Amino acid sequence: MKNLLYKEYRLCMQPMVFIFFGFVLMLLIPNYLYTIPCFFIGNAIFNSFQYAVSDNDSLFTAMLPVAKRDVVKSKLIFIVSIQLIMLLLYIPMIALNNAIMTEGNKAGIDACPALLGSCFVLFGIFNVTFLPSFYKTGYKTGKSFLISTIAVFIWIFLSEGFFVAAVAARNAVPFFEWIETHIDCVPKEASAWAAQLIYLAAGALIYVLLTVITDKKASKAFDLVNV
Amino acid sequence: MNLLEVKGLTKRYPGFTLDNVSFTIEPGYIMGFIGRNGAGKTTTMKSMLNLIKKDGGEVLFDGIDYIANEKRCKQQIGFVNGEFNCYSRSKLKTLVNVTKRFYDEWDDELYSHFMKRFSLDENKKVSELSAGMRVKFALVLALSHNAKLLILDEPTSGLDPISRDDLLDVFRSIISDGERSILFSTHIISDLEKCADMITYIKNGRIFASTDIESFKSGYLLVSGDEEALNDLLPRLIGVKKHAFGFTGLIRAEDEEFAAGCRTAPADLESIMIYIEQEDADEKSAL
Repeated sequence: MKNLLYKEYRLCMQPMVFIFFGFVLMLLIPNYLYTIPCFFIGNAIFNSFQYAVSDNDSLFTAMLPVAKRDVVKSKLIFIVSIQLIMLLLYIPMIALNNAIMTEGNKAGIDACPALLGSCFVLFGIFNVTFLPSFYKTGYKTGKSFLISTIAVFIWIFLSEGFFVAAVAARNAVPFFEWIETHIDCVPKEASAWAAQLIYLAAGALIYVLLTVITDKKASKAFDLVNV
Repeated sequence: MNLLEVKGLTKRYPGFTLDNVSFTIEPGYIMGFIGRNGAGKTTTMKSMLNLIKKDGGEVLFDGIDYIANEKRCKQQIGFVNGEFNCYSRSKLKTLVNVTKRFYDEWDDELYSHFMKRFSLDENKKVSELSAGMRVKFALVLALSHNAKLLILDEPTSGLDPISRDDLLDVFRSIISDGERSILFSTHIISDLEKCADMITYIKNGRIFASTDIESFKSGYLLVSGDEEALNDLLPRLIGVKKHAFGFTGLIRAEDEEFAAGCRTAPADLESIMIYIEQEDADEKSAL
């Protein structure tokens, strides 16, 4: 596992990934969809896969003393590491956002711990749509990225739209009022912290489940591919 | 015990089937793997190594099932798939630094020895290497972890004659301890005659022969004669080429008595292969 990750970072990490990490600064834009920077990480992964295909990366990895399914695992741990780094970068940006902006986010979920839960789900959806599709051939990056982009944007619009609706209808619907005071807010009280941490944990759990499914589906697909 | 045992290896594609391929390699031998383009050499090698999903058959390496023990087996196998064609923007030393971490038996001294012997500069990028140098680098990676079995797909293609000769010396020295073996495919038949002990000949996805070279060669004779003799001998000829003075062809050694009026000579590997493939193309009937 350690050697595979080392291989990914030494041979497959593209400088573009660092540029896409910079998109975390979008959390300082007032009234914005704060899950969008995570979509750009999908762009970074897509970019690195394009290079990997032209570099015959799968053949190189498959020729190393690893099992064929480790070719997929190698890429998956690389992706997961990039996604977790992005979420770590979110933490100071959320704090900075809260320090600069006193009013909530009208375009979607506020910059708060619950946002990380939404981002976890987004990454899980990206993984489960991009990788199994890619490993059906081992070279079709464009089609796989298109599928994952559609799936990710459906999640962005549904989740962010939910919080926009909650802001609009908070006075009319008690459930939305609870959402606005517990999930879609900067948590101050213990009950809001608890609700947001549960939301975050649920998001992380979905991410883990979707990533495990990704591993199984992508490995099964790649097993049939001629390297 | 056989170092490699391939039993009934089968892979089906639309229009081509690798059909029930079986052969064995004992420790201490070099086996040449020959056949026409598209005969199934690379498919066999890649199916053996699980780079291509096989539809049937079994591969035993050192007595253990390859698929069930893929990581363990790969530690002791060096595979060269033609010229090294990965990560063209990376330096050789970066690639080596990554590769060596995966092998328990990686030998830095051996690596330095082969880099020097093949005149490779580890500070160069893959894109800066010629086709021949890329083959050499692939060979260095395969040779530096003390592999018990080297599986080499066209390792001498693209190399100059001096480098090829040097490489064949390397092959002989590798197997000299009697514990290692080499399976290599090539279209340069003279390379096989210089260093291989055994050959496996694959034709249209099926094993035509798998034996020691001398037995295989002694099974055939080159025959030449005038046009009159050709008519008598035609049913016995495996392949034939007509020319202004008569014909040259190939017969089985057991049919020598039918070539009484013709000149016969020991057949070389390349001629055997050419005439056998000619028979397959059914050019004989067109004469």
